[in-house]
Amino acid sequence: MVAFEFLINAISLGSLYALIALGLVIIFGILKMVNFAYGELIMFGGYVLYLVGSNFRLPWLFVALFAVLGAMIVSYLTELVAFRRVREKSLTALLITSFAVSTLLQNGALLIISPRAKAVVLPNIFSQSITWFGITIPMRNILTISISILMLVGLTLLFRYTILGIALRAAADNFRMTRMLGVPANLVISSAFVLSGMIAGVVSLFWIGRTASVTPNIGLGPLLIAFVATVIGGMQSLMGAVLGGFVYGMIFSFIGVLLPQTLLDYREAFMFLIVILILLWRPEGLVRTRYVQERVG
Amino acid sequence: MLRVDHLQVRYGAIAALHDVSLNVETGELVALIGLNGAGKSTTLSTIAGNIRPERGSIMFNEQSLIGKSPEAILRLGIAVVPEGRDIFPSLTVEENLRLGAFCRHNRREYRHDLEEIFELFPILQERLHQLGGTLSGGEQQQLAIARSLMAHPKLLMLDEPSLGLAPALVDHIFSLIVTLRSRGVTLLLVEQNVDRTLEIADRVYLLNTGRIELEGSPEQFKSRTTIRDVFLGKGE
Amino acid sequence: MKRSRLAGWLSPYSTIFFLALPMVALTTIVDLFATSLVIRIVTVMFVSMIIVLGMQVFMGNSGILAWAHVGFMGVGAYVSALCSMTPQMKEIAVPQVYPFLLNLHLPFWPSILIGALVAALLALIISYPLMRLSDAAAAITSFALLIIIHTVLVHWDRVTNGPRTLFGVEEYTTLWTSALCAILVLVLAYLFKESSLGLRLRASREDAYAASAAGINITQVRYFSFILSAGIAGFGGGLWAHYITSFTPDAFYMIETFNVLAMLVVGGPLGISGAVIGTALVTIAREGVRAVENMINLNQLLPFEVVGLTEVFLATVLIVCLILRPQGIMGGRELRWKPKNAMQMGNQQASQK
Repeated sequence: MVAFEFLINAISLGSLYALIALGLVIIFGILKMVNFAYGELIMFGGYVLYLVGSNFRLPWLFVALFAVLGAMIVSYLTELVAFRRVREKSLTALLITSFAVSTLLQNGALLIISPRAKAVVLPNIFSQSITWFGITIPMRNILTISISILMLVGLTLLFRYTILGIALRAAADNFRMTRMLGVPANLVISSAFVLSGMIAGVVSLFWIGRTASVTPNIGLGPLLIAFVATVIGGMQSLMGAVLGGFVYGMIFSFIGVLLPQTLLDYREAFMFLIVILILLWRPEGLVRTRYVQERVG
Repeated sequence: MLRVDHLQVRYGAIAALHDVSLNVETGELVALIGLNGAGKSTTLSTIAGNIRPERGSIMFNEQSLIGKSPEAILRLGIAVVPEGRDIFPSLTVEENLRLGAFCRHNRREYRHDLEEIFELFPILQERLHQLGGTLSGGEQQQLAIARSLMAHPKLLMLDEPSLGLAPALVDHIFSLIVTLRSRGVTLLLVEQNVDRTLEIADRVYLLNTGRIELEGSPEQFKSRTTIRDVFLGKGE
Repeated sequence: MKRSRLAGWLSPYSTIFFLALPMVALTTIVDLFATSLVIRIVTVMFVSMIIVLGMQVFMGNSGILAWAHVGFMGVGAYVSALCSMTPQMKEIAVPQVYPFLLNLHLPFWPSILIGALVAALLALIISYPLMRLSDAAAAITSFALLIIIHTVLVHWDRVTNGPRTLFGVEEYTTLWTSALCAILVLVLAYLFKESSLGLRLRASREDAYAASAAGINITQVRYFSFILSAGIAGFGGGLWAHYITSFTPDAFYMIETFNVLAMLVVGGPLGISGAVIGTALVTIAREGVRAVENMINLNQLLPFEVVGLTEVFLATVLIVCLILRPQGIMGGRELRWKPKNAMQMGNQQASQK
């Protein structure tokens, strides 16, 4: 029975990680850029939860909605103000900009709010559990799994069947050609950022939900997770990143119980070593997608 | 329809195009030929809006194209099929075509356009739900052309459509181009396959190291000495 | 005729003089007249210059982002500290330190050099495969490398005392030490850039295909430059460790990476003048804003503590710089004396994007 509870836990973590990865890879696919500020979007969502939650008496669902919307808006603004103007320049400039935006947002929170952790009001349902045939499952896990699945399904439908989704996938294949077919570059990229922000917002609900507090540097953890997951799953494919995230979450959970305490600390270093090895030996990722695109160096 | 005047394009310190002038009238099939590196692709890229010229003008139906984005230029009616096809490998044939029709807003027209495309390119109907990356070279070339046609362009520019294709496919592509011309599509064709090009073109320009060396009808070009001189490096 | 030939020969090296002389002048003035706070700021500035120059050696000449750079700084810092600290101090500072490290006790300069050497060695061992990667993949991999180095530093308790502070390092670095070392590294970076290796690396930055067609082994050229750059970072880390005397692994992570990037990019990554000037400007800006921060906090001008203003300011400056002038202030040119009738030794003109 404990095994089953643990399995649900692992699946819950896996689906959260999968969602985290998707938010990062949407932008990476098109711009070939790691959006370092992605973690800060999650941080922003957390701070909205804190500010709105502690100053207004609203049902938690509304607060959550504000958090998601807030992350979407901030993501859109970072693109509009910073990334759009550096896009035409080199990839290096884009990456440094992304890093600078991340630093800016993080320290902005430090400056405007506080370096200290702030407690976030969570809904009661997050601390409840249900018991089913002798198995106790925290509601939080069930919610994580179901919302993640819902979002992943929704986004898959978007990518598969809407013209915007097709345009986004085409842009990830060949951005220049997409423009030459008349698709406005700005529309495509802004949409990618907004979607990424939306995912970040939802992720923040569950990420903060685990610790019930938010700090300015809370974004680094998810960023690194997304990073690892994207590399494992293949940086070119959305599906691959999602699978990579899921696999990463599951492995992480399993390692957590299997390894002796001394080695446990190196869990992170170990994962990153795997990242480097994959990048060297199999840069297209471990997940085999239907069509493996040639890498233009 | 299209007037290019004294175009000069530089890559850093190197001048890729020195002084290129050409024009295309409605309904014509104009060919741009020349050696590798002469600047043919650069010319098309500049017209399509991917490169900003240093000097010169590009007028399309009395509108200047310089400074406009590739998206805007497509909406004005110029479509380009680049060298190397550039189809989207992880999208299906149908999705490729659908994206080509991005600028057309009428859904009924889309169905009708597809029918027309299938008439011209029956193989695409067969492979409609296959991924673009799994098509053969010749099929990809057809997809690339079909995709550009979905936008109903007034001017279609083709960059080396026969490159890398087997002779039988080359025949197919060239007869396709003739069919398109007969349907009223204005074409600017960049090619290295001189013989076949001279057979079908209305007018020909010869581009050599960034300059237009010759201009005229195919008959004038068939005078072997001129062409041979240029291609063997005697005419400078 | 002879005079113009001499002038032509000297002209490229004039950059070194244009940079070194003000540095010496500044050091003299500060040494004689300034408060200890200013001495501290200037000393740290010179050490930062060393780190930034190290990054310039690789990133400026190859065009590839080296995220892991401050990681090597950390390696140099810890290694040199462990070499120079007395065994008694080590026992207190790193309670479970390995025996062979415990008894190690070397003078200052050997410690620093060993720190640099170990950093270079580490780069030698692990970085060769990374050099073959394309732009995007190389950036990601070096970022992963930074995280690995940091994680190891945080968890290898028996060497680094883990995430806790390593204290008790003796203060050896003085104002003049850091200034002279900075000048030394400056000369080294300049000579590298103008050397055959540096030239080949810069060619690969401009056009990788053309360079390899010209017979340049890009992987090898990048590899050697990376090792040199890591060694310089290790050297700077050692100097820094022996000035600040106590530090944690977090000092060699994201914040420091940001600082180094800001200094290099603002000044202009393509040349050493940019690295030096950028470091100076960013140091001035940062200390200026920090002074404002302190003034606000001490006088309680605002109802809350002002923290992070410096970083917000610098990040904004960096973003604006990338948008408006990504090639930095120097724009790839070096400070140089160009006498009119001098015969130039080859065209040293850096024509950059």
